[in-house]
Amino acid sequence: MYGGDEVSAIVIDLGSHTCKAGYAGEDAPKAVFPSVVGAIDQMDIDEADNSEKNSESAADAKNNDKPKGKRKLYVGSQSLGYRRDHMEVLSPLKDGIVADWDIVDNIWDHAFRECLLIDPKEHPMLLAEPSSNTQQQRERAAELMFEKYKAPALFLAKNAVLTSFASGRATSLVVDCGGGSTTVAPVHDGYVLQKAVATSPIGGEFLTDCLMKSLESKGIVIKPRYSFRRKEIRPGEFQTVDLDFPNTTESYKLYSQRVIASDIKECVCRAPDTPYDDSAYSNIPMTPYELPDGQTIEIGADRFKIPDVLFNPSLVQTIPGMESFAEVAPSVRGLPQMVIESINKCDVDIRRELFSSILLAGGTASMQQLKERLEKDLLEESPQAARVKVLASGNATERRFSVWIGGSILASLGSFQQMWFSKSEYEEHGASYIQRKCP
Amino acid sequence: MDAKDILGLPKNSFPPQDKKSRPPKESHRKPDGISREVYALTGGLAPLMPALDSSQLKKKPPSDEKVAWQWLGFTSSARKDNLHLYHWVRVVNGVPPTGDYSFAKYNRSVDITKYTNEEYEKYLTDPRWTKEETDQLFELCERFDLRFIVIADRFPSSRTVEELKERYYSVSRALLIARNPSPVDIASHPLVKEPYNVSHDLERKRAMSLVLSQTRQQEQRDEEVLAEAKRIAQSRISAKVSQEAEMAVASNAGVEVTERTIQGETVSPLPSNAQHPSIPVPSSMSTENASTLASLRILRVYLRTYALEQMLQAASSTAGLRTIKRVEQTLQDLGVNLKPRVPTKSVCAEHLELRKEILTLLNLQKQLQYKEAEGLPFREGSYTETPGTPKHFHHGKQDRAFVPDPSFGGERTGKRDQKRKAPGRLSEAPSSPAQSKRPRKLKASDF
Repeated sequence: MYGGDEVSAIVIDLGSHTCKAGYAGEDAPKAVFPSVVGAIDQMDIDEADNSEKNSESAADAKNNDKPKGKRKLYVGSQSLGYRRDHMEVLSPLKDGIVADWDIVDNIWDHAFRECLLIDPKEHPMLLAEPSSNTQQQRERAAELMFEKYKAPALFLAKNAVLTSFASGRATSLVVDCGGGSTTVAPVHDGYVLQKAVATSPIGGEFLTDCLMKSLESKGIVIKPRYSFRRKEIRPGEFQTVDLDFPNTTESYKLYSQRVIASDIKECVCRAPDTPYDDSAYSNIPMTPYELPDGQTIEIGADRFKIPDVLFNPSLVQTIPGMESFAEVAPSVRGLPQMVIESINKCDVDIRRELFSSILLAGGTASMQQLKERLEKDLLEESPQAARVKVLASGNATERRFSVWIGGSILASLGSFQQMWFSKSEYEEHGASYIQRKCP
Repeated sequence: MDAKDILGLPKNSFPPQDKKSRPPKESHRKPDGISREVYALTGGLAPLMPALDSSQLKKKPPSDEKVAWQWLGFTSSARKDNLHLYHWVRVVNGVPPTGDYSFAKYNRSVDITKYTNEEYEKYLTDPRWTKEETDQLFELCERFDLRFIVIADRFPSSRTVEELKERYYSVSRALLIARNPSPVDIASHPLVKEPYNVSHDLERKRAMSLVLSQTRQQEQRDEEVLAEAKRIAQSRISAKVSQEAEMAVASNAGVEVTERTIQGETVSPLPSNAQHPSIPVPSSMSTENASTLASLRILRVYLRTYALEQMLQAASSTAGLRTIKRVEQTLQDLGVNLKPRVPTKSVCAEHLELRKEILTLLNLQKQLQYKEAEGLPFREGSYTETPGTPKHFHHGKQDRAFVPDPSFGGERTGKRDQKRKAPGRLSEAPSSPAQSKRPRKLKASDF
């Protein structure tokens, strides 16, 4: 590597669905876990008998000085997978920005101490932030990192810029279809053009919810994994026994169901080649899917209907149970419209270049046929003078982790080492200096 | 050889080929040490020189150096603070490498001219820009290395890229001029030589946005409309071309032109036509023709006389000048004007009919004469022969010129012939005067 110089930086990307953390210079994050935590309010229950998970002890030590009512947080897929009474599932992010810094703190801690096994004091940190992050959020992140973890240096990079760098381009239009939202952001010469960023609340999790509601309306009940046990009566034959846990919270149940539904979505759903039409898709063959409790379900038109919500949000109204979204629906545009809108807000000179380098990133972007459908829709709407090209890495892992990979590339470049926001600078100028240092 | 035995083929089937192929092979004998097949893989020739120097492959580093890799700290001159970061360094003989961080030299930035407050007061005030805004602009320019699109994006108040560029370049230019009193030095500086032209940039961007802002459906519709318009224009041009060609053929005396214009006035009472009589007798008729006709064509006005003229020409184009003259003479004999005085539709139609009938009549007369002349030597003896023949031939030639009749004239004569023959049979009277006329004519011309 001629341009590279590893300083063993750590790259953390806290997304709305999963958190990715790992060493810079590597090609995939080492620690990938859900970015929701289980919280048990300690005032209700005596927590004396849970000794099997060592994540608790760490969480314990951190939480003893919480002013706002004691609660224990369980971070990581292992801890979350175990059902506990009265455990609520909480997300630190709300509408894409951080609402609860305590949870974020715990998540970082879990990443450093349990997953990566490092001491944050020795490693510069590169954090990925949403493309439309506020000044306040950045300052808070800097404070937390420097005060608590005593990192020697920090840099906050925007998601869109990192995705752009991961594909080797300085100018591109990044379509990030993540878990919580979809963001379309143009990047010019390594800087995000903030006035042209377009976001939409339709993300992977929203599609999962749609699928769940659709299946429920068809009478299919998704049983969460903890609520049954399968006994082998005879070799090869299983019997499902329902278990009842009355103290399980609703949010945990929902969380467990969502895990199963998102797996169904990832396996079965495909983006349709043409806008979804009930009559056209009424006769397609059904695909079977076996649920964890042994039940086999058949999924037919929903395979194509759910992904088409990305392109045509008004389809949501046809799904029973999703009426709450209907009020927000008129203002939400489909993916191709967002792309065109974002490009048209940019300066005329760069539009052509943006059209010819549209990058797809995010977990939802690894849906099959999404790239082809988006390209086709854009070709119809875009002017003829512009040559439309949608690029996506062929590897599904790369698409999911493209933000992290961009961070890994950036933090291991030799010419990046002069751009860190160091601790001494923080002490000298204060947290607001980050605005200058991290554009 | 064995295969041929098995197949039962004769052994010496192509002896000359065998002999030819054998000598070249035998000249390359395979070297000992490698098998025949392997040697054949190289193409039958030994390699000329080795591709790789085998001694190079196992090159060991000079043994007097001791190389180790250590995790050492470093500072970079590109940083203003003294942040110590650590990286792996190739240490030779226990001596870590000295010198600045190797990537520090990539820390380049653009030179932005800075101004003091007094300079601002003196040279750089502008009604549209406040000092704070100008300061902000310059600060952003420095941070973003003159990437104006990003600067426009981050600028607190919404200013367009062109405005920012204009302000920056005009300030830099003014400063440059102010700081160097002698204009000679800086005349070649790009800022002075080619100042930033806002209007040009705006225009260029507007044009580009027009190109890039239409959706594909709109563009398709535009294309359809353009194709339609093109076709209409083409059809009109072809109509014009045909009209012009005929008009060029019909260039006539000035009388006709003025007559036409006057009649044009009566026929089509449009305001633009009122201009025409005011036009004096033209010096050049063809151009006058062209101009009036062109203007009229534009207005899609149809001059009845002109149309009549067209039709006349169409009717008599193949008839030859002499016949036209004869037709006209016949008309005059009959007391009809060469051109109808009141050229309404019906009148013109009748006039044309009349002309056609006269033409047909003349044609028939000619044909009859010819036939008669042919039949004469058999009937009337020799006195008409010798003197008659040259004239007869002369007539005949004229007749023959008419034998390949014009299309509808021919048809008409055919039809009329049939029609006439029928009454002709009933009444021989009309034909016989023609017959009797001819010999009389001949006789008259003889002497």
